[in-house]
Amino acid sequence: MAIPQRKTDVGPPHYKQFLPPVIQKNYGKWKYHEVINPGTMVHVGESGDKLWTVRVASPRILATDTIREQCDIAEKYCDGYLRYTTRNNVEFLVSDEKKLEPLKKELTAKGFKMGGIGYGITNVVHTQGWVHCHGACTDASGLVKAMMDELYEYFDSKRLPNKVRLAVACCVNMCGAVHCSDIAVVAVHTKVPQINHETFKNMCELPTVIGSCPTRAISPDPAKKSIKINAEKCMYCGNCFTVCPPISIKDPERDGVAIVVGGKINSLRTNPKFSKLVIPYISNVPPRWPKVVAAIKHIVEVYAKNAKKHERIGEWIERIGWERFFSLANIDFTFQSIDDFTFMRDTMRTASTFKWS
Amino acid sequence: MEIAELQNKIYAFCEAAKGKKKLKEKDIIKGVSEAEGVPGDEVKKAMRLMIDVGKLMYSYGGGASSVEIPSEEYLREKGLIK
Amino acid sequence: MAGKKYNTPLIDDLEKGPWPSFVTEMKKAAKKSEMSNDALGHLEKCYATKKGYWKHGGIVGVLGYGGGVIGRYSELGDEFPGVAHFHTVRINQPSAFFYTGKALKEICDIWDKYGSGLTNVHGSTGDLVLLGTKTEHLENIFAEYSSRGWDLGGSGSALRTPSCCVGPARCEWSNYDTLDLTYNLTQEFQDELHRPSFSYKFKIKSSGCACDCVAALARADLSIIGTWKGDIKIDQAEVKNYAKTMDIKAEIVDMCPTQCISYDGKEMKINNKECSRCMHCITKMTKALRPSGERGATLCMGSKAPIVVGSLLSWVIVPFIKLEAPYTELKDLLRKIWDWWDENGKPRERIGEVIEIKGMRSFLEAIGVAPQPQQVKEPRKDPFMFYTDEDMAGFKAKEAEEKKTGKYKF
Ligand code: HEM
Ligand code: HEM
Ligand code: HEM
Ligand code: HEM
Ligand code: SF4
Ligand code: SF4
Ligand code: SF4
Ligand code: SF4
Repeated sequence: MAIPQRKTDVGPPHYKQFLPPVIQKNYGKWKYHEVINPGTMVHVGESGDKLWTVRVASPRILATDTIREQCDIAEKYCDGYLRYTTRNNVEFLVSDEKKLEPLKKELTAKGFKMGGIGYGITNVVHTQGWVHCHGACTDASGLVKAMMDELYEYFDSKRLPNKVRLAVACCVNMCGAVHCSDIAVVAVHTKVPQINHETFKNMCELPTVIGSCPTRAISPDPAKKSIKINAEKCMYCGNCFTVCPPISIKDPERDGVAIVVGGKINSLRTNPKFSKLVIPYISNVPPRWPKVVAAIKHIVEVYAKNAKKHERIGEWIERIGWERFFSLANIDFTFQSIDDFTFMRDTMRTASTFKWS
Repeated sequence: MEIAELQNKIYAFCEAAKGKKKLKEKDIIKGVSEAEGVPGDEVKKAMRLMIDVGKLMYSYGGGASSVEIPSEEYLREKGLIK
Repeated sequence: MAGKKYNTPLIDDLEKGPWPSFVTEMKKAAKKSEMSNDALGHLEKCYATKKGYWKHGGIVGVLGYGGGVIGRYSELGDEFPGVAHFHTVRINQPSAFFYTGKALKEICDIWDKYGSGLTNVHGSTGDLVLLGTKTEHLENIFAEYSSRGWDLGGSGSALRTPSCCVGPARCEWSNYDTLDLTYNLTQEFQDELHRPSFSYKFKIKSSGCACDCVAALARADLSIIGTWKGDIKIDQAEVKNYAKTMDIKAEIVDMCPTQCISYDGKEMKINNKECSRCMHCITKMTKALRPSGERGATLCMGSKAPIVVGSLLSWVIVPFIKLEAPYTELKDLLRKIWDWWDENGKPRERIGEVIEIKGMRSFLEAIGVAPQPQQVKEPRKDPFMFYTDEDMAGFKAKEAEEKKTGKYKF
C-alpha cells in the first residue's frame, strides 16, 4: 500500500474531538464529585448532568491488542470515549447510569482491575528499567508488579489515612518523578566505573567526560590518552557512563535499590516535600524483590497504624519527628541517611531538642 | 548573500568542526552570522533548509542535541544516496 | 508466528498475582511480532543475570526533525536479532489524555504494521510511547501518523511535549483551561519542540490548582499552578451535611495551615485574607466550598536535578497571571525567558541551574518581573549582596524625597 505524504509540525490533534458530549456541555462547569468506591466516582455538573468514571489499573506497558480491548469496551458502554491518567490508569467515562453496572461486570469478567481512587494506593509511576533503558540498575516494571501484587488490597478496597503515592526509578536519573513520592524505590550503582582505555580515545571527548562528573572525580590520564577516576570522590552517579560508552558502571552483584519516603507534590496543608533516604541498600532479587516489597508494605502499615486522618506520610513523620519514625519502623539509621552533599547545611539538627527514640 | 552561498559557508563551518566539537544550532548561527556579517535569522533559515533535505542533520549524544554533517549511512537510510 | 520460543521461567512468575502483568502484555505482543518475542527472551536474560543489555542511544530520527525518536540498540543483537534495533517513537498526546476508541485503534493499526506492538500509555513526559521499531521504518511511521494528524513529541535539547491535568474537562477545581493552554502552547511552539535549539531540555506542565495532579512543581522547568484571588464561598447547608459524617474541627479547622477557619458547630467562617489557597478544606468539602473571584495561575520556574547546588522544586516567579486565550502575556514571557537562557546558558544547563549561576536578579530583570515577597520563603540571611549604581540612586532619591515630605518611607 502506498505510503501517504508526510506533514510536519501538525502538532497533536485538538482535544475537543475526544471529549464526550457530557464533558463538552459541562466543560468548566462541574460542581462537585463523589467517590462511590475505590473504582468509581461521579462528577456532577451545575446543570445536574452526571458523569461516572470507572478507573482501571494498567501495567503501563500495553500490547496493542489490550488497547483495542479497552477501546471495544469504551465503544460498547461509553460511546467510544476513554482517557488515561497521569499515573497511567485507564478511565472509562459513562454518561448513562444504566450502563455503569454492565460495564463493571464486563470489566470484571475480562480481568480488568478497578480501583485507585481516594485514600489508598494507585498505580506506581515508574521508568523503563531493563525493558528499555541503557542505564538501568534494576527492572522498574518487575518491581512495580511485585509491589502492587502485595499491596493490591489498598488499590481496590482497604483505605489509609491519606493517599500513598509510590514510584520506582531505575537509576539516579530518576526519569519517573520519584523524588516527591510518599514511598519510592531508587535503583543505585554502588561501585566506581571501569574504563576501557582502548576504545576511550576514539569514542569520547575528554573535556566532556571530565565535565560530566559532578564530584570532579575524573582527571586526564595522558599516558593512556584516557581518564582516571578518583575512587574517593566517585559516588557512582553514572553520568560519565552516560556521556561515554567505554565507561561501564553496571555490576549485577552490587547494583541494588534504596528506599526514600515522605515526599509529596501537592500543596495541601503543607508545602511539597522531597522524599528522604531511609533504607540505603537492598540487593536486586528478581523476579520479585521480596525484601523491597516487604519494606514498603511494612512502612505502609506503620503509617496506617500511627498517622492521623488526612496526614500524608511526610506530614505524619514531620509531626512525630524522624527519630521517632526510625524507631517506630524499626529501621537502622545509617551514614547514608546523613547528607554529605549540598543539603547538609539544611538537614543537620541545630538544637538539642529531640526525642530519645 | 545568496542563500546557496550562505549554505556553502554553513557547510564549511560544520565541516571545520567535524570530529572536534559538537555544534549546537546556536553555535552555527552565531559563528556564521559573525564571520559573514549575515543576520542570525537568515543563517537559521538557511540551515533549517539544509536540515530538511539532509544536507545537515540533527544529532544527539551524551544528553544533548547537536547539528552535524550526515553520515553515508544516514543518507542511505533516508534514500538520499544509493 | 514461527519465531523462536524462549524459556522464560523468571518473568513468567510475574504473570501471577492480582495486578495486571506487563509480561502478559509482552507475550500478547510476541504472538504477532518477532521483535516483541525477542524482547521477552532479552528481558529473561536481564532477570537471570541481573543486568541490562541496552546500549546508549544512537542517532536516529526523521528527516528535518531533531527529536521524537529515541535510538535504542541491544548489545545482544546477535542472540536476539529482533531487539538489535528497538527504537522508541514518541507520539504527542492529546491534552489530558482523552481519546476515542476509533483514534486509538488507528494508532494501534499503524504501530502493528511497523513496530513491536508494545507501547507505554503513557511515558512520564506525557507522550504516547511506541516501544521498539527499526531505523528503516521511521520515515514510514512518521508519514502514516502525520498524514492522519498525529505528530511526534519532543526529545533532546528542545521543548518537551507539554502536558496537563484533566482540568475543566472533569474537575471542579480548575482555575484555568489547562487543556486549551497546553494545546495552544504546543501548537505555537512546534518549531521549538521538533528542532532542538535550546541549551538543554525545557518542560512545561500545567495543573489547574494546588493539588498539582501532573506534578508540575517537581518536574517541569515551567510549572503553571492554577489559583484564584477572591474569597472561598461557603454553602452553610452543605456544611451541615458534612458535619454528619466529618469532624469538622479536627479534619478541617485544625488542619488549615493558616488557621483561618472557624466553626462553632453551626456555621463555618473563613478569614479569606489569611488563606494561602492550599486547597485542603476545598478538597475535603467540595460540595460546601468553592473559590470565587479572579482566576489565573502562579508561574514557577526551574525544577531540576539535585546536582551540586541542590534546589529541585520550581521557584515562584510570577505570583499571579491571568491565563486566557490567546495567552499573549505568557507567550511573550516565555520568549523572553528562552532568550535569556540562550544568552547565558552553556550546553546541558537547565534554566534553573543558569538562574542559580547568574542570579535570580539577572533573570527577573531580563524578563521584566519585579521582586515581590511572594517569591521567597524568607529573605536572604547574609549581608553579601550587590548594589548597582541605579539601586543606590534609588535609595538616595527616596531619602531626598523624605527630606522634603518629612516622612520616612522604608
Ligand atoms: C529520590 C530521588 C529522586 C527521584 C527518584 C526522582 C525522580 C524523578 C522523576 C521520576 C522525575 C519525573 C520526570 C518526568 O516525568 O518528567 C523527576 C523530575 C524531577 N526531579 Fe527528581 N527525583 C529524585 C530526587 C530529586 C531531587 C533531590 C531533586 C531536586 C532537589 C529532584 C528534582 C527534580 C526535578 C527538578 C524534576 C523535573 C525535571 C524534569 O522534568 O526534567 N529530584 N524526578
Ligand atoms: C555528585 C554526583 C552527581 C553528579 C556529578 C551528577 C551529574 C549530573 C550531570 C552532569 C547531569 C546532566 C547530565 C545530562 O543531562 O546529560 C545530571 C543530571 C541529572 N542527575 Fe545527576 N549527578 C550527580 C548526582 C545525582 C544524584 C545523586 C541524583 C539523584 C538523586 C542525580 C539525578 C540527576 C538527574 C535527575 C539528572 C537529570 C537532571 C535534569 O535534567 O534536570 N544526580 N547529573
Ligand atoms: C543524565 C541524565 C539523564 C539521562 C542520560 C536520561 C536518559 C534517558 C533515556 C535514555 C531515556 C529513554 C528510556 C527508553 O529507552 O525508553 C529516558 C527517558 C526519560 N527520561 Fe531521562 N535521562 C536523564 C535524566 C532525566 C531526568 C532528570 C528526567 C526527569 C527529571 C528524565 C525524564 C525522563 C522521562 C520522563 C523519560 C521517559 C521515560 C518514561 O516515560 O519512562 N530523564 N531518559
Ligand atoms: C547579616 C550578617 C551578620 C549579622 C547580622 C551578624 C550579627 C552578629 C551578632 C549580633 C553577633 C553577636 C554579637 C554579640 O552579641 O556579641 C555576632 C557574632 C559573631 N558573628 Fe556575626 N553577623 C553577621 C555576619 C557574620 C559573618 C559574615 C561572620 C563571619 C564571617 C560573622 C561572625 C561572627 C562571629 C565570629 C561572632 C562571634 C563574635 C563574638 O561574640 O565573639 N558574623 N554576629
Ligand atoms: S531512570 Fe535511568 S535507567 Fe531508568 S529510564 Fe531513566 S535514565 Fe533510564
Ligand atoms: S560515576 Fe559519577 S561520580 Fe563517579 S566518576 Fe562517573 S561521573 Fe563521576
Ligand atoms: S490539578 Fe487541580 S484542577 Fe487539575 S485535575 Fe488536579 S485537582 Fe483538578
Ligand atoms: S484553602 Fe487552605 S489555607 Fe485556605 S482556608 Fe482552606 S485550608 Fe485554610
